[in-house]
Amino acid sequence: MTIHVDYVVDARGLACPMPIVRTKKAMEQLQPGQVLEVQATDKGSLADIQGWAKNTGHQYIGTIEEGEVLKHYLRKVNPTEVKEETKYPHVVALDELQRKVENNEQPFILDVREEAEYAFGHIPGAYHIPLGQLETRMNELNKNETIYVICRTGNRSDLAAQQLAEKGFAHVFNVIPGMTEWKGTMVKGGNE
Amino acid sequence: MKKRVAIIAANGGLFDAYKVFNIATAAAATEAEVAIFFTFEGLNLIHKEAYKQLPLPEGKEQIQQGFAQANVPSIPELVGMAQEMGVKFIACQMTMDVMGLTKEHFVDGIDVGGAVTFLDFAKDADITLTF
Repeated sequence: MTIHVDYVVDARGLACPMPIVRTKKAMEQLQPGQVLEVQATDKGSLADIQGWAKNTGHQYIGTIEEGEVLKHYLRKVNPTEVKEETKYPHVVALDELQRKVENNEQPFILDVREEAEYAFGHIPGAYHIPLGQLETRMNELNKNETIYVICRTGNRSDLAAQQLAEKGFAHVFNVIPGMTEWKGTMVKGGNE
Repeated sequence: MKKRVAIIAANGGLFDAYKVFNIATAAAATEAEVAIFFTFEGLNLIHKEAYKQLPLPEGKEQIQQGFAQANVPSIPELVGMAQEMGVKFIACQMTMDVMGLTKEHFVDGIDVGGAVTFLDFAKDADITLTF
Protein backbone atom coordinates (compact mmCIF):
# COMPACT_ATOMS: atom_id res chain seq x y z
CA MET A 1 0.00 0.00 0.00
CA THR A 2 1.50 3.34 -1.03
CA ILE A 3 0.23 6.31 0.89
CA HIS A 4 0.70 9.93 -0.03
CA VAL A 5 2.34 11.86 2.81
CA ASP A 6 3.63 15.40 3.14
CA TYR A 7 6.94 14.53 4.78
CA VAL A 8 9.03 11.44 5.47
CA VAL A 9 11.42 10.95 8.40
CA ASP A 10 14.07 8.29 7.85
CA ALA A 11 14.97 6.97 11.31
CA ARG A 12 15.96 3.52 10.07
CA GLY A 13 18.89 2.05 11.99
CA LEU A 14 18.54 4.56 14.81
CA ALA A 15 18.07 3.55 18.44
CA CYS A 16 15.79 5.05 21.06
CA PRO A 17 15.26 7.96 21.62
CA MET A 18 16.29 9.07 18.11
CA PRO A 19 13.10 8.12 16.21
CA ILE A 20 11.10 10.26 18.65
CA VAL A 21 13.57 13.14 18.53
CA ARG A 22 13.47 13.13 14.71
CA THR A 23 9.67 12.92 14.74
CA LYS A 24 9.37 15.94 17.00
CA LYS A 25 11.71 18.00 14.82
CA ALA A 26 9.88 17.08 11.63
CA MET A 27 6.48 17.81 13.17
CA GLU A 28 7.61 21.36 13.89
CA GLN A 29 8.08 21.91 10.15
CA LEU A 30 4.62 20.69 9.16
CA GLN A 31 1.42 22.66 8.78
CA PRO A 32 -1.65 21.52 10.73
CA GLY A 33 -3.45 18.77 8.83
CA GLN A 34 -0.34 17.50 7.07
CA VAL A 35 0.69 13.87 7.33
CA LEU A 36 4.09 12.56 8.40
CA GLU A 37 5.58 9.14 7.75
CA VAL A 38 8.26 7.93 10.17
CA GLN A 39 10.37 5.00 9.02
CA ALA A 40 12.09 3.15 11.84
CA THR A 41 13.70 -0.20 12.55
CA ASP A 42 13.63 0.31 16.34
CA LYS A 43 10.85 -2.04 17.45
CA GLY A 44 10.22 0.04 20.56
CA SER A 45 9.18 2.90 18.28
CA LEU A 46 5.78 1.25 17.77
CA ALA A 47 4.76 1.90 21.36
CA ASP A 48 6.83 5.09 21.66
CA ILE A 49 5.21 6.83 18.68
CA GLN A 50 1.74 6.13 20.05
CA GLY A 51 2.70 7.39 23.50
CA TRP A 52 4.30 10.44 21.95
CA ALA A 53 1.18 11.26 19.94
CA LYS A 54 -1.03 10.84 22.99
CA ASN A 55 1.10 13.23 25.03
CA THR A 56 1.63 15.88 22.35
CA GLY A 57 -1.96 15.84 21.07
CA HIS A 58 -1.08 14.84 17.51
CA GLN A 59 -3.01 12.10 15.72
CA TYR A 60 -1.52 8.63 15.41
CA ILE A 61 -3.03 7.15 12.26
CA GLY A 62 -1.41 3.74 12.15
CA THR A 63 1.65 1.66 11.36
CA ILE A 64 2.57 -0.60 8.45
CA GLU A 65 5.27 -3.23 8.82
CA GLU A 66 7.39 -3.82 5.75
CA GLY A 67 10.00 -6.43 6.56
CA GLU A 68 12.30 -4.88 9.15
CA VAL A 69 10.91 -1.39 8.65
CA LEU A 70 8.02 0.08 10.61
CA LYS A 71 6.23 2.93 8.87
CA HIS A 72 4.34 5.08 11.33
CA TYR A 73 1.78 7.63 10.12
CA LEU A 74 0.97 10.76 12.10
CA ARG A 75 -1.14 13.81 11.36
CA LYS A 76 -0.36 17.22 12.79
CA VAL A 77 -3.36 18.44 14.72
CA ASN A 78 -4.40 22.06 14.73
CA PRO A 79 -4.69 23.11 18.40
CA THR A 80 -8.09 24.68 17.70
CA GLU A 81 -9.43 21.67 15.80
CA VAL A 82 -10.97 20.02 18.82
CA LYS A 83 -12.84 23.09 20.00
CA GLU A 84 -13.98 24.54 16.68
CA GLU A 85 -17.75 24.90 16.43
CA THR A 86 -19.76 23.23 13.73
CA LYS A 87 -21.35 25.79 11.43
CA TYR A 88 -22.98 23.79 8.66
CA PRO A 89 -26.62 23.38 9.76
CA HIS A 90 -27.55 20.04 8.18
CA VAL A 91 -26.11 17.21 10.19
CA VAL A 92 -26.72 13.50 10.55
CA ALA A 93 -25.79 11.44 13.57
CA LEU A 94 -23.24 8.74 12.99
CA ASP A 95 -25.49 5.91 14.22
CA GLU A 96 -28.15 7.06 11.77
CA LEU A 97 -25.64 6.70 8.96
CA GLN A 98 -24.59 3.31 10.27
CA ARG A 99 -28.24 2.21 10.19
CA LYS A 100 -28.54 3.31 6.54
CA VAL A 101 -25.38 1.41 5.65
CA GLU A 102 -26.54 -1.73 7.43
CA ASN A 103 -30.04 -1.55 5.88
CA ASN A 104 -28.28 -1.60 2.53
CA GLU A 105 -29.72 1.81 1.56
CA GLN A 106 -26.30 2.48 0.00
CA PRO A 107 -25.94 6.10 1.07
CA PHE A 108 -23.30 8.06 -0.85
CA ILE A 109 -20.56 8.72 1.69
CA LEU A 110 -17.79 11.23 0.99
CA ASP A 111 -14.72 10.76 3.21
CA VAL A 112 -12.63 13.94 3.29
CA ARG A 113 -9.78 12.78 5.52
CA GLU A 114 -6.16 12.50 4.39
CA GLU A 115 -5.12 9.54 2.29
CA ALA A 116 -3.25 7.81 5.13
CA GLU A 117 -6.25 8.05 7.44
CA TYR A 118 -8.58 6.66 4.78
CA ALA A 119 -6.17 3.83 3.97
CA PHE A 120 -6.06 2.67 7.60
CA GLY A 121 -9.82 2.20 7.73
CA HIS A 122 -12.96 3.61 6.11
CA ILE A 123 -16.62 2.74 5.64
CA PRO A 124 -17.01 0.21 2.79
CA GLY A 125 -17.81 2.04 -0.43
CA ALA A 126 -16.98 5.51 0.93
CA TYR A 127 -15.78 7.84 -1.80
CA HIS A 128 -12.52 9.56 -0.96
CA ILE A 129 -11.51 13.15 -1.67
CA PRO A 130 -9.23 14.84 0.91
CA LEU A 131 -10.57 18.22 2.03
CA GLY A 132 -7.63 20.01 0.40
CA GLN A 133 -8.56 18.60 -3.03
CA LEU A 134 -12.30 19.03 -2.81
CA GLU A 135 -12.47 22.34 -4.62
CA THR A 136 -10.74 21.02 -7.73
CA ARG A 137 -12.42 17.61 -7.72
CA MET A 138 -16.07 18.57 -7.11
CA ASN A 139 -16.90 17.57 -10.68
CA GLU A 140 -16.55 13.94 -9.59
CA LEU A 141 -19.70 14.37 -7.48
CA ASN A 142 -23.37 14.54 -8.40
CA LYS A 143 -25.10 17.78 -7.33
CA ASN A 144 -28.51 16.15 -7.02
CA GLU A 145 -27.46 13.15 -5.01
CA THR A 146 -27.67 13.07 -1.22
CA ILE A 147 -24.11 13.21 0.10
CA TYR A 148 -23.02 12.26 3.61
CA VAL A 149 -19.70 13.94 4.35
CA ILE A 150 -17.51 12.34 7.00
CA CYS A 151 -14.06 12.92 8.50
CA ARG A 152 -12.43 12.02 11.81
CA THR A 153 -14.32 14.22 14.27
CA GLY A 154 -16.73 16.33 12.22
CA ASN A 155 -14.69 19.49 11.65
CA ARG A 156 -13.18 18.92 8.24
CA SER A 157 -16.46 17.43 7.03
CA ASP A 158 -18.19 20.58 8.25
CA LEU A 159 -15.90 22.71 6.07
CA ALA A 160 -16.38 20.33 3.15
CA ALA A 161 -20.18 20.45 3.52
CA GLN A 162 -20.05 24.25 3.48
CA GLN A 163 -17.90 24.24 0.33
CA LEU A 164 -20.28 21.87 -1.40
CA ALA A 165 -23.37 23.87 -0.40
CA GLU A 166 -21.78 27.06 -1.75
CA LYS A 167 -21.27 25.37 -5.12
CA GLY A 168 -24.92 24.39 -5.36
CA PHE A 169 -24.95 20.89 -3.93
CA ALA A 170 -28.47 20.69 -2.56
CA HIS A 171 -28.53 17.57 -0.39
CA VAL A 172 -25.44 17.56 1.75
CA PHE A 173 -25.24 16.30 5.33
CA ASN A 174 -22.33 16.53 7.74
CA VAL A 175 -21.95 13.29 9.69
CA ILE A 176 -21.14 13.83 13.35
CA PRO A 177 -19.05 13.05 15.17
CA GLY A 178 -16.98 11.01 12.64
CA MET A 179 -14.77 7.99 12.14
CA THR A 180 -13.38 8.15 15.70
CA GLU A 181 -16.73 6.81 16.93
CA TRP A 182 -17.62 4.54 13.99
CA LYS A 183 -18.65 1.10 15.22
CA GLY A 184 -19.68 -0.48 11.93
CA THR A 185 -17.59 -2.43 9.42
CA MET A 186 -14.43 -0.90 8.06
CA VAL A 187 -12.14 -1.76 5.18
CA LYS A 188 -8.51 -0.86 4.63
CA GLY A 189 -6.70 0.18 1.51
CA GLY A 190 -6.59 2.91 -1.09
CA ASN A 191 -9.29 4.56 -3.15
CA GLU A 192 -12.41 2.60 -4.02
CA MET B 1 0.53 23.46 30.72
CA LYS B 2 3.72 21.61 29.91
CA LYS B 3 4.63 18.55 31.93
CA ARG B 4 7.72 19.06 34.04
CA VAL B 5 10.41 16.39 34.52
CA ALA B 6 13.10 16.82 37.20
CA ILE B 7 16.10 14.48 37.15
CA ILE B 8 18.98 14.03 39.59
CA ALA B 9 22.14 12.51 38.08
CA ALA B 10 24.40 11.34 40.89
CA ASN B 11 26.46 8.62 39.19
CA GLY B 12 29.20 8.86 36.59
CA GLY B 13 29.24 5.67 34.52
CA LEU B 14 28.29 5.16 30.88
CA PHE B 15 25.11 3.30 31.80
CA ASP B 16 24.10 6.10 34.13
CA ALA B 17 24.67 8.61 31.34
CA TYR B 18 22.38 6.75 28.93
CA LYS B 19 19.64 6.41 31.51
CA VAL B 20 19.76 10.13 32.25
CA PHE B 21 20.07 11.47 28.73
CA ASN B 22 17.71 9.04 26.99
CA ILE B 23 14.91 9.85 29.41
CA ALA B 24 15.70 13.56 29.26
CA THR B 25 15.75 13.81 25.45
CA ALA B 26 12.66 11.62 25.07
CA ALA B 27 10.81 13.80 27.58
CA ALA B 28 11.94 17.01 25.86
CA ALA B 29 10.85 15.59 22.49
CA THR B 30 7.45 14.92 24.02
CA GLU B 31 7.24 18.59 24.88
CA ALA B 32 8.09 18.38 28.57
CA GLU B 33 10.15 20.95 30.40
CA VAL B 34 13.22 19.10 31.67
CA ALA B 35 15.99 19.96 34.14
CA ILE B 36 18.85 17.74 35.30
CA PHE B 37 20.75 18.37 38.50
CA PHE B 38 24.29 16.92 38.26
CA THR B 39 25.86 16.16 41.59
CA PHE B 40 28.89 14.20 42.85
CA GLU B 41 29.96 11.65 40.23
CA GLY B 42 27.06 12.74 38.06
CA LEU B 43 29.17 15.77 37.14
CA ASN B 44 31.24 13.44 34.90
CA LEU B 45 28.28 13.28 32.52
CA ILE B 46 28.75 16.92 31.47
CA HIS B 47 32.52 17.23 32.07
CA LYS B 48 34.12 18.35 28.76
CA GLU B 49 36.70 15.55 28.80
CA ALA B 50 35.26 12.86 31.04
CA TYR B 51 31.96 12.58 29.16
CA LYS B 52 33.74 11.38 26.02
CA GLN B 53 34.94 8.19 27.71
CA LEU B 54 32.72 7.29 30.61
CA PRO B 55 33.54 3.95 32.25
CA LEU B 56 31.47 0.82 31.83
CA PRO B 57 30.79 -1.24 34.94
CA GLU B 58 33.67 -3.59 35.72
CA GLY B 59 33.44 -6.85 33.81
CA LYS B 60 30.93 -5.43 31.27
CA GLU B 61 33.47 -3.86 28.92
CA GLN B 62 32.41 -6.11 26.04
CA ILE B 63 29.06 -4.27 25.93
CA GLN B 64 30.87 -1.35 24.28
CA GLN B 65 30.48 -3.23 20.99
CA GLY B 66 26.77 -3.64 21.57
CA PHE B 67 26.37 0.14 21.75
CA ALA B 68 28.10 0.54 18.40
CA GLN B 69 26.09 -2.26 16.76
CA ALA B 70 22.76 -0.89 17.97
CA ASN B 71 23.78 2.49 16.49
CA VAL B 72 23.21 4.23 19.81
CA PRO B 73 24.24 7.90 19.72
CA SER B 74 27.35 8.85 21.70
CA ILE B 75 27.00 10.70 25.00
CA PRO B 76 28.36 13.98 23.55
CA GLU B 77 25.75 13.68 20.78
CA LEU B 78 22.96 13.09 23.28
CA VAL B 79 24.15 16.00 25.43
CA GLY B 80 24.10 18.32 22.40
CA MET B 81 20.66 17.10 21.40
CA ALA B 82 19.25 17.51 24.90
CA GLN B 83 20.54 21.08 25.09
CA GLU B 84 19.21 21.88 21.64
CA MET B 85 15.75 20.81 22.79
CA GLY B 86 15.93 23.03 25.83
CA VAL B 87 16.90 20.57 28.58
CA LYS B 88 18.33 22.61 31.45
CA PHE B 89 21.59 21.42 33.04
CA ILE B 90 22.32 22.46 36.60
CA ALA B 91 25.74 21.58 38.04
CA CYS B 92 25.97 21.34 41.80
CA GLN B 93 28.08 24.19 43.17
CA MET B 94 28.97 22.38 46.36
CA THR B 95 30.33 19.29 44.59
CA MET B 96 32.29 21.49 42.20
CA ASP B 97 33.91 23.28 45.13
CA VAL B 98 34.79 19.99 46.80
CA MET B 99 36.32 18.61 43.61
CA GLY B 100 38.07 21.84 42.64
CA LEU B 101 36.12 22.23 39.40
CA THR B 102 34.93 25.44 37.72
CA LYS B 103 32.27 26.15 35.09
CA GLU B 104 34.99 26.07 32.40
CA HIS B 105 35.50 22.34 32.97
CA PHE B 106 32.00 21.61 31.72
CA VAL B 107 30.15 21.75 28.42
CA ASP B 108 28.83 25.18 27.45
CA GLY B 109 25.39 26.37 28.37
CA ILE B 110 25.08 24.93 31.87
CA ASP B 111 23.83 26.66 35.00
CA VAL B 112 25.58 26.31 38.31
CA GLY B 113 23.43 26.26 41.39
CA GLY B 114 22.79 24.87 44.81
CA ALA B 115 20.26 22.37 46.00
CA VAL B 116 17.54 25.01 46.23
CA THR B 117 17.97 25.91 42.55
CA PHE B 118 16.98 22.36 41.72
CA LEU B 119 14.29 22.11 44.37
CA ASP B 120 12.69 25.29 43.08
CA PHE B 121 12.29 23.60 39.69
CA ALA B 122 11.39 20.19 41.15
CA LYS B 123 8.65 21.46 43.46
CA ASP B 124 6.24 21.73 40.50
CA ALA B 125 7.50 18.61 38.70
CA ASP B 126 5.10 15.97 37.44
CA ILE B 127 7.87 13.37 37.31
CA THR B 128 10.99 13.22 39.46
CA LEU B 129 13.75 10.70 38.77
CA THR B 130 17.06 9.88 40.39
CA PHE B 131 19.87 8.03 38.64
